[in-house]
Amino acid sequence: MNHAAIRRRARLWTTLAPQAAAAVKPAALDITNIRHFPVREPVSGNRYSLLKITTRSGLVGWGECKHDPNADFGPVQSGWVGKQANAYATVPPSTPFRAALDIAMLDILGKAANAPVYRVLGGPTRNKVRAYSSPWSQEFPVAVIDVPMPAWRNQGKAYQNKVVELANAVPTDRDFVLAGNGLLTPGDAASVARTAESKHPLWFDEPCPHSNIDAVKKVADETVVPLGFGDGIDDPGLFQGLLREGLIDIARPDIGIFGISGARRVAALAETYYVAVAPRHSGGPVGTAAAIHLAASIPNFFIQHVPLSMEEGDRAMRKEIVSPAIETNSGGFLELTKSPGLGITVNEAALEKYHAA
Amino acid sequence: MRRRNFLALGSAGMALAGTKKRPHVELDASCGCSFEPQAAAPENGPAGIQAFSNVQSGLKITGMKVFGVSLTPNSDRPYVFVKLETNQGLIGWGEGTLEGKAAAVIACINDFKDFLIGADPMQVEHIWQSMYVHSFYRAGPVMGSAISGIDQALWDIRGKALGMPVYQLLGGPFDTRGVRGYYHVDGATREQLIQIRQTAKEQGITCVKSGIPGYYEWIERRPKIDRAIQAIQLLRESLGPDIDIAVDFHAKTSPSVASIIVKEVEPLNLLFVEEPCPPENVQAMAKIARRSTTPIATGERLIASYGCRELIEMGVIDILQTDINHTGGITGLWKVAATANVSSISMAPHACEGPIGGLATIHVDAAMPNFVVQEICGQVKPNAADKVWEEWFGFPAMRMVDGRFPLAEKPGLGFELSEASLAKFPFGGTRPMARVFHDDGSVAEW
Repeated sequence: MNHAAIRRRARLWTTLAPQAAAAVKPAALDITNIRHFPVREPVSGNRYSLLKITTRSGLVGWGECKHDPNADFGPVQSGWVGKQANAYATVPPSTPFRAALDIAMLDILGKAANAPVYRVLGGPTRNKVRAYSSPWSQEFPVAVIDVPMPAWRNQGKAYQNKVVELANAVPTDRDFVLAGNGLLTPGDAASVARTAESKHPLWFDEPCPHSNIDAVKKVADETVVPLGFGDGIDDPGLFQGLLREGLIDIARPDIGIFGISGARRVAALAETYYVAVAPRHSGGPVGTAAAIHLAASIPNFFIQHVPLSMEEGDRAMRKEIVSPAIETNSGGFLELTKSPGLGITVNEAALEKYHAA
Repeated sequence: MRRRNFLALGSAGMALAGTKKRPHVELDASCGCSFEPQAAAPENGPAGIQAFSNVQSGLKITGMKVFGVSLTPNSDRPYVFVKLETNQGLIGWGEGTLEGKAAAVIACINDFKDFLIGADPMQVEHIWQSMYVHSFYRAGPVMGSAISGIDQALWDIRGKALGMPVYQLLGGPFDTRGVRGYYHVDGATREQLIQIRQTAKEQGITCVKSGIPGYYEWIERRPKIDRAIQAIQLLRESLGPDIDIAVDFHAKTSPSVASIIVKEVEPLNLLFVEEPCPPENVQAMAKIARRSTTPIATGERLIASYGCRELIEMGVIDILQTDINHTGGITGLWKVAATANVSSISMAPHACEGPIGGLATIHVDAAMPNFVVQEICGQVKPNAADKVWEEWFGFPAMRMVDGRFPLAEKPGLGFELSEASLAKFPFGGTRPMARVFHDDGSVAEW
């Protein structure tokens, strides 16, 4: 964007922002309190942040976002108490705890409307949510193959063959995701993709770093393996760049970064390129609930990652803090919730138990 | 000889029109609706006609009838036919069938009544421009189909008035034997395909087209991708190396899924892969094309050359398939072909609606330097529609002879059609096209 355009848009923003702030408040839905619950899974140590928003009318909304050690909750509390709990679209993208605020406000909006969030957002667009879990999980019919950490850059045939062996080990009635975890160079990623191409992986996740879009072109030009990106992306503009250049086949906005409505906006962007969405998720069951509602609100959802721990203790904790057990595999799918808002109950006492300072 | 003398009557005809009250015009929508334009054409003919008072041909449009024709009561694509009548008895037929939106097109054609009654049908380019430009919103499929139907009828009159088939007015034919076509072989088993191969050889058919099975999400699982590849392989195995095979993805696949399938079937030397992704996003189509040597065809849903410009300019595709019943009639299709030709893009026009558009498209095909093959959604063995069409026209319309659709010999579009023959198939109303869904209930493309 050139300087003139930046200045033009900045000028518009100065007139728009006060208008948004000046909106009339329905007092019943004013935020009276926001609480922050940082939690940690007991065995894996995986951390995430939950927010609880309470309104003057007594409605409670729950949200979740990624754990951010640098995020200061104080300004969130002081900045949002007194604001409208239902105005989820007014949360600026740069706000700390943005995803959790967004999800919690949608939870409240749904409860105020006496409808599940997906219904508030125009769904359901589907009656179940395809899901998969982590490389060690056997419960869902989609396997994840982590490409082995290469010993050095620009790997040869032996390394490619190793990846093919892993792909061959997946029974043909099961699908698999090839997970590059951003570890490979574009050249190595292109070679691996070409070698695995005829095995028809569902997609190649984070085949190489996406910091340089022109480097990603090398992978996309040399193979037809669908490519998935989203790790660490917090700016929709990065998705737009990948989409415009035809370098992404499955957009993966992180539910813990974008929340429901942020991810929904990325989905709308991807839709115009016929690109599917599989939100990233590395947090807890509140995030999974949010992901279920997102999936049932967009046309181009493909699959949801459910970050279940391999440890029984962690799984028990997830079931303890959120009911019903929404992360249950039902023939490769998760079921939609039916009660208002996110359709879940959060066990506050249990949150204290897993509190992470 | 009346039709050859009209030019001499030009000035007299104009003088009459200037003084005499315009005859009452019957407008038969045949749709059970009463959506008639409320602003009647001015006494002296449509807006702007005075500027041409010295150069009128003398031929004037005096009436317009629109017919909805349902071959079966529940047809999702009732034919929409337009009949234009003139002061000299010449009549013109055109088709604006739009699948799933019949009543909308009928209403839209009626909306153009004021553009037509009193107009000189020889001014087809001028009328086309007026319908397109003066509609302000430019054309989508409904208006594009309405303009297409009217445009074909105007060309039919023009040809009859000038005493030659339309393809001659367009500077053709390139090949007096007719224009090459293909039939559909969707869903055929191996045994059926082998039989089709034999019949095709006997009948001189050189090309067929098929689809791919099922519906596809934008990322797909292995079994679906493998099934699609196997279905295409079966075509080549059963039909042999000598028949050209086109495969219609029907925009069921995303660029991501199409790229995988197209790459796998590359060794099969397909004539083309059609609509490997939906039509709105040219960049997305480019993503498929840049990784394949199989020719890519698309365009049956695009309106006017404007709608094709980006595809053509970017060189994304190899073959354009605009449809004479949607893209703007003979005028629209010819312009698309001319524009495409500049970029060495070939034409394989779509015409899967009724027989008037089919017969009209042959004229344009015959005058295209970049023509490859014509679609008509018939099968190697004539079906029920083929029988009706033969009854209507008195000849087997849109059946190939020696692998080609023969050229018309009579002036205009080259056929006679009576209203009485259409009356046997009354308009059953608009019916939606097929609506299909994935296993989870979400919307699928077919």
